Amino acid sequence: MNIMNLRRAVQGFFLLLFLFLFLQTETKGDNTLGYPVKLFLDFDPLISFSSLLSSRAVTGAFFLSVLILLLTAVLGRVFCGWICPLGTLNNLAGLLKKKQKGHIPPGSRRIKYYLLIFLLASSLFTLQLTGIVDPLSLLIRSFSLSIYPLFNSAVRAVFETLYALQVPAVTDFSEWIYSILKKSVLSFQQPYFIQGVFLGLFFFVILALNLVEKRLWCKYLCPLGALLGVFSRFSPLRRSLSEGCNDCGLCSAACQGGALHGSDRSWETSECLYCMNCDDLCPHNAVSFGFGRPASTAMDLGRRNVISSFLAGIVAVPLLRTGPFSRSGYSHPKLIRPPGSLEEGKFLERCVKCGECMKVCVTNGLQPALTEAGLEGIWSPVLVPRMGYCEYGCTLCGQVCPTGAIRKLTPDEKKKTRIGLAVIDRGRCLPHSYSTPCIVCEEVCPTPKKAIWLEKVKVKDGNGKEVILRQPRVDLERCIGCGICETKCPVLGMPAIYITSLGESRSKENRLLL
Amino acid sequence: MNRREFIKKAALAGITLSLPDGLISLAGSAEAARQIDLVVVQGSSPSKIVRAAVDGMGGMKRFVSRGDIVVVKPNIGWDRTPERAANTNPQVVAAVVALCLEAGARKVKVFDRPVNDARRCYKQSGIADAAAAAGAEVSYIDERRFKEVRLGGLALKSWPLYQDILEADKVINVPIAKHHGLATLTMAMKNWMGVMGGSRGRIHQNLDEALVDVARTVRPALTILDAVRILTANGPQGGDLRDVKRLDTVIAGVDQVAVDSFGATLFGMKGGDLGYVVAGHRAGLGRMDITKLKVKKIKA
Repeated sequence: MNIMNLRRAVQGFFLLLFLFLFLQTETKGDNTLGYPVKLFLDFDPLISFSSLLSSRAVTGAFFLSVLILLLTAVLGRVFCGWICPLGTLNNLAGLLKKKQKGHIPPGSRRIKYYLLIFLLASSLFTLQLTGIVDPLSLLIRSFSLSIYPLFNSAVRAVFETLYALQVPAVTDFSEWIYSILKKSVLSFQQPYFIQGVFLGLFFFVILALNLVEKRLWCKYLCPLGALLGVFSRFSPLRRSLSEGCNDCGLCSAACQGGALHGSDRSWETSECLYCMNCDDLCPHNAVSFGFGRPASTAMDLGRRNVISSFLAGIVAVPLLRTGPFSRSGYSHPKLIRPPGSLEEGKFLERCVKCGECMKVCVTNGLQPALTEAGLEGIWSPVLVPRMGYCEYGCTLCGQVCPTGAIRKLTPDEKKKTRIGLAVIDRGRCLPHSYSTPCIVCEEVCPTPKKAIWLEKVKVKDGNGKEVILRQPRVDLERCIGCGICETKCPVLGMPAIYITSLGESRSKENRLLL
Repeated sequence: MNRREFIKKAALAGITLSLPDGLISLAGSAEAARQIDLVVVQGSSPSKIVRAAVDGMGGMKRFVSRGDIVVVKPNIGWDRTPERAANTNPQVVAAVVALCLEAGARKVKVFDRPVNDARRCYKQSGIADAAAAAGAEVSYIDERRFKEVRLGGLALKSWPLYQDILEADKVINVPIAKHHGLATLTMAMKNWMGVMGGSRGRIHQNLDEALVDVARTVRPALTILDAVRILTANGPQGGDLRDVKRLDTVIAGVDQVAVDSFGATLFGMKGGDLGYVVAGHRAGLGRMDITKLKVKKIKA
């Protein structure tokens, strides 16, 4: 096996590992998952580095990500060329384009460094935007909120159609296949996400950029690639050319990264993905990789541009905080954070919007925020109880959070964690406003002594007949804001009972009681 | 009387006539069991008391024939562990499944449409594992299998019900006895909410009649009410162990109204206190006056 095929096999392995762990990010009924589903994020040095800066705290898996930096310092950006699942998907999308290169000027490769500087500068001043463009965070978020729901919807549509048609023999066979898919690659229930369409388009655009130039994202935009590029600067694994080279141009045409531009002889460590195309393709066997003295050439980023990027990163911090969200005493009533979330300021310093919590949420209630937390908090998790409630005994979101924005709670802690408060809309409530019996909110209320209790009242119905009703009331001390009452309220559309963030345990300000 | 029943009875009569005296009384005891309306068994082992209760009703062969497809319908409504008495006791479910298979059932299906996340309910209740180990086919609800059924009732004209329960040869209801904010108590008849599709929360607007409407359509061959642990407050899902009372009891009967009526006595109430029991009695679904019923009490 030549080294190019070895590389492809390794890429395939890591992509499959990524997909496997992704599929395991779903409960089978236990309150644990059984696999380290956030493994790729744990190894992501951009996430751990920017979190370190923004929150001044070491995230759980910081040391794993340091391993990647050490690997990069010795072997260069092998992570990009051999491991990164988004890189591999870019490779696959690139198969649709014939020529390796487009017409983008090589100077554009610097964009990713400016982006990195911008992000780290923001992080330094507590603004965590990295997750929006970090490749692993971006990939998991896109898959969780859009690509996987899309896949599920498409597969289900095919099998539902065959089921509806009831073709003899065919439907039996399709149902058999369907049952196997349900047990393996399909989700337990069809996931639905707010902004799913938009997030999917964003992801498809990244893939489509491969049609402009293969691996355009990796070469010009990826901030993790830039970080690893910096650390690979003095990597001793370097490319050398022997006498046999006749400048045929084959290798620079096949270069996956931006390491060879224009000529076969110039080579830049920090841009090389170590895909080994040049080594394998050289008709004269003139290319070889081996350990030696680190190459000394470095890309000139331009002092002014570096300073501009840094300043932009700093300016972004107060700019994004000009909304009402930083104002004392203000809290968005719909900003219902998952249980275990840190106080909002600290939460935003850590959340990288990877979507793990939304993927794992058993009720599909955790959704990406749009404006509830300001632009800074876009795509961070909020509970939308009309979509799904917070399951009383479940603590999975805290288990999969890579940065500790959502703390890992024990089930007992979780059951006492208040994420909001139920409010009854008497105008819509059947027993309050329509003299009609209904007790669903009380029935489903999960606290051991129910937070929703029923008061027996005598009222008259429209015919003047006296009826005895039980009207729901909310106990301020006992309600934890899980939202099951809102989810299950039979008054569809606008519910007769809903959750607001008021009274959440994590906030000292957003309080109601003494 | 259908043909199968006729042949059985004729054969029984034939055998009885040709038997020596000693054995006649044995055959007669099966006949005697048919006279019994309810069997109430108390004992420390859930599976033993279930067996004793079914034996007291004449044995599972009276209800399940060889080759039958049987649905055993427990309450798996909540994400709660067995000691919290929000779902049917898993050992009770497993014992019923085992009895059905021993009686020759071809397949025993176990399912419910829970209120909480189905995966967690099935797992945390212990029912999925226990029933599967006993040989049942445990499955999650497949939404496509709800079919609109004409009920023609007082509250519900029609409602989507789960196909598997309508198509089964025999249905055995295995509810748990517990407190409920509206129904006061939830037992056998209310357990049919688990085979109702659609937005079933709406039925609470006329719960008593709605329960009768559904119970009339889903007629179980046998009901076994689990009162190993009962939930006395904060039902139907509870959570506080202080609300749980251990009775180590099961109640078996064919008449679901009678079972619920007797179940009320476990909580110090009577059937007449429960709206749906009264409604069921009035609709002729069953009998609620337990003083007129033949109740056999056993310690096992």
